[in-house]
Amino acid sequence: MPQDVPKATVVSKPFITISKRKFLIVLGAIVAIVLWLVWPLITNNGPVDYANEDEHFRYGSIGGETTDGFPYWVVKVLPTAFADKLPGEGGFTSFGFIQEPDHEFPIGFARSTNQFGLDVVTQNCATCHVGTLRDSPEDSTPQLISAMPGMTVNLQAYIQFLIAVAQDERFTADHLMPYINETAHLNPLEKLLYRFLVIPRTREELLHQGHDFAFMKRQTPYGPGRVDTFTSYKTRRYGFPVEQLKPEELDGIADYPSIWNQRSRQTLKLHWDGNNNDASERNRTAALALVAPTTANFESLERVRKWLLDLQPPAYPYTIDQTLVDQGRPIFEQTCASCHAPKEQGGYLLGTITPIEEVGTDRGRLDSYTYELASNQNLTFAGISYQGVDQRFSHFKKTNGYTNSLLDGIWLRSPYLHNGSVPTLRDLLNTPENRPTVFYRGYDVFDPENVGYVSSVGEDHGKSFFRYDTAAPGNSNQGHLYGTQLSDASKAALLEYLKTL
Amino acid sequence: MAKSRHKGIVRILIPVIVVVVVAAIAITGWNTLFRRAPLTYYESPADHFKYGSVGTEAVEGIPYWIWVVLPRLFPEKLPDSGGYTSLGLTWEEGREMPIGLTKERIGFDRVGLNCAACHVGTVRAENLDNPTFLLGGPSTKFDVQRYLQFLFDSANDPRFTASFILPEIEYNHHITLLENILYRLFIIPQTKQALLAQEHAFDWMNRRPSTGPGRTDINPFKIRVLGLEDDGTVGSADIMPLWNKEAQAGFHRHWDGLNTSLRETIVSGALGTGTTPKDINLDSLDRIGTWMQTAPSPPYPFSIDETRANRGHAIFKRECASCHAISGDRTGQVIPLTEVLTDPNRANHWTTEAAAAFNTYAEDYPWDFDEFQDTDGYTAVSLEGLWARAPYLHNGSVPSLMSLLALPEARPTSFYRGYDVYDPDAVGFVSTGAAAEIVGFKVDTRVTGNGNQGHLYGTDLPQVDKQSLIEYLKTL
Repeated sequence: MPQDVPKATVVSKPFITISKRKFLIVLGAIVAIVLWLVWPLITNNGPVDYANEDEHFRYGSIGGETTDGFPYWVVKVLPTAFADKLPGEGGFTSFGFIQEPDHEFPIGFARSTNQFGLDVVTQNCATCHVGTLRDSPEDSTPQLISAMPGMTVNLQAYIQFLIAVAQDERFTADHLMPYINETAHLNPLEKLLYRFLVIPRTREELLHQGHDFAFMKRQTPYGPGRVDTFTSYKTRRYGFPVEQLKPEELDGIADYPSIWNQRSRQTLKLHWDGNNNDASERNRTAALALVAPTTANFESLERVRKWLLDLQPPAYPYTIDQTLVDQGRPIFEQTCASCHAPKEQGGYLLGTITPIEEVGTDRGRLDSYTYELASNQNLTFAGISYQGVDQRFSHFKKTNGYTNSLLDGIWLRSPYLHNGSVPTLRDLLNTPENRPTVFYRGYDVFDPENVGYVSSVGEDHGKSFFRYDTAAPGNSNQGHLYGTQLSDASKAALLEYLKTL
Repeated sequence: MAKSRHKGIVRILIPVIVVVVVAAIAITGWNTLFRRAPLTYYESPADHFKYGSVGTEAVEGIPYWIWVVLPRLFPEKLPDSGGYTSLGLTWEEGREMPIGLTKERIGFDRVGLNCAACHVGTVRAENLDNPTFLLGGPSTKFDVQRYLQFLFDSANDPRFTASFILPEIEYNHHITLLENILYRLFIIPQTKQALLAQEHAFDWMNRRPSTGPGRTDINPFKIRVLGLEDDGTVGSADIMPLWNKEAQAGFHRHWDGLNTSLRETIVSGALGTGTTPKDINLDSLDRIGTWMQTAPSPPYPFSIDETRANRGHAIFKRECASCHAISGDRTGQVIPLTEVLTDPNRANHWTTEAAAAFNTYAEDYPWDFDEFQDTDGYTAVSLEGLWARAPYLHNGSVPSLMSLLALPEARPTSFYRGYDVYDPDAVGFVSTGAAAEIVGFKVDTRVTGNGNQGHLYGTDLPQVDKQSLIEYLKTL
């Protein structure tokens, strides 16, 4: 009966009748489900923290999570999902990355989370600045040495791998998700994010990087232990169109340097061509290969910086003939010290530039750094300060030669010259026509006889090494004639002395 | 009772809160968009000249962060790789801004132009050298029209939107949520609109040959400042040096001598650079004017044969001094076109009408103009730092002193300008060859305004005398 039921009651009657208790249960369940779905995203709070300085150096994030990091699960499955694109067996180690036992990723790979709470992997300084050392081909426990040049790491091959997989039609959720689901226990929300956002975005970003790195196709192969430092800044950070890069600027492939003992280098002209004499600015440039100005983790970088200030290179671990060393010292003082000894030991030219005409080494690296790039760098980190100090680049300068560097731990820094064109110290003391024209790099067995890594072996235990051809552009082994006119006896003595540095 | 009192408080509180909130938003917005921070003060007059504001930021300033990221986002609109350096802007080591560009805060940081953009030259001995800066000299490389064109082309691109520009800004700079909103709603769309409006105002650039680097015409005065109709005339002329003004007292200024007052020349120049009567910074211009009085021309940076230069001095006294020595009878005076016979376009480009308009411009301001005039020729300029002022003649139609001493028919009909490596043999910047072609702008002397005829003085000298004269000219 219409009169029996007041109108208002009809209107206010809920669509579904539900008791308060039931409502609370449903609400609770919804909250629980939502919490379960977003829990992984809200509980990841930034980079993994390492108490030990060396661990922090090897595995800690220096930033770049949002701009340069790769989603954790994508990195995790890439070596298996695209095993056919790897240069050899062993996943990431096939690029020469160093895998420590009990670690999830090789040295240089840092776990962190980005601003959306997504697990990511970023790269840090150790990617290129940790090396290995073995006494013999049978030595199965390589010594890992932080802050030495990462002489096994073929960064170019890794970059090209990433680009190649992105260009591969299999870089899709359909191909990758099964690999991810094998080990990951992603909840439905995470799976959706990976399928529809993370994987497509990663591919897009890698393809974009592929375009910016396209200059590599016009370059001499880098091989392990080398990189073209400045060309990628031109394209990736300053938008120089890759097709407009001048051919004479593309031969700047140079060795990774050692980065220990920075206190002795604070105001020296740094980088091979000495284009910057401010160590902390040099650090920021290096970081900029891996992070953006707004995503650099200054605290983390500061921790690395402080640790590297006084970190010393390891002492030469093999036999040293002390009598020969004593004979070699005066020869060093006479022949090398003015450019290469610490200032207080007579190195009045240490950290200054020797003009290209005088040093006579390959000019490719010098020409790869330009006044135009220096100009653009002046705007980098503008408006960003850390601990009250303006971080803008203000020390970059185009130079006309190569810097005279300190020789601490020089025995571990082979091959020699900026482009790594001379395999051993013994070869470096020979005139250019007597230096090897072809040799191999990337093998971590030491050759105490010639002082340097073994460079005559092309393959060992199924691993093949990089064939370095000094005839290729940028690879010249000419120049640096200092000491080449010494007698054989003097060279032997000098060589012995150099082991002690 | 209590309830109604409560109601009363609410009745008062709500409007108060509204007013406070609105005021807070208004003040924050005004601070972020319009509040003028004190201008950067540069202790040294030279630094002030290079980086100090003359008042162009408020009206024509580009928001700093947009300015920073534009070349990275629209590199295809630049002539070459290298960001702004491809337009001829040059950075001193470690400086944030290139010479001639200012950074001042009016609400947010803005980038403006000052005198130094066009009045600092550069020179290098070899291609890979760092440039040496020639303060007060004519710009060797900066192409102001091309710079503006780059900004206009970017503004015309459909991608000139917040969604394309903001990510690149945020890649380089932390911005707050409020700034993000302001960039999105106001700064980026306003910048686009302002650039498009400026492009329209610079429409005349499209109706005449490009000036290329180191040159300009007088349309920034005629059309921009005075609002005259485009009369279609071409007036491409080299930027002039600012050195040694004390010794040039009373000289006619500009190539055609359109004014003899240094003060009026400087103030009008600033207006032409983009400031307005309201924003013009007279204190700043005074400092620059004072600096110009004694600013020295740079000495020739290569070797000079003294003996030959001494012989050349005698020839100079005989052939050139009456018009070009600082104390010459006719130096600083206007030489009629019928006598000098050089390309007449620039002289005809400035008109009696324009001079009259300038003399009645800004009448309400104490610094207004009274001494503009129209002439029938070109000023016989004094020759300080002549070596750094190539190419030669008012329109830069002759690449070197060597070619200037040749008869017009023997002067090159095309060459490149804008490459700053020096050629000490010809005395001028390198103007031919692959490197000059890549960096440079092609000057074709058959193009209107680019004629290389006239100024026949010295062209009939014996070769050996020409050599001596050139050697002497290096010493000026």
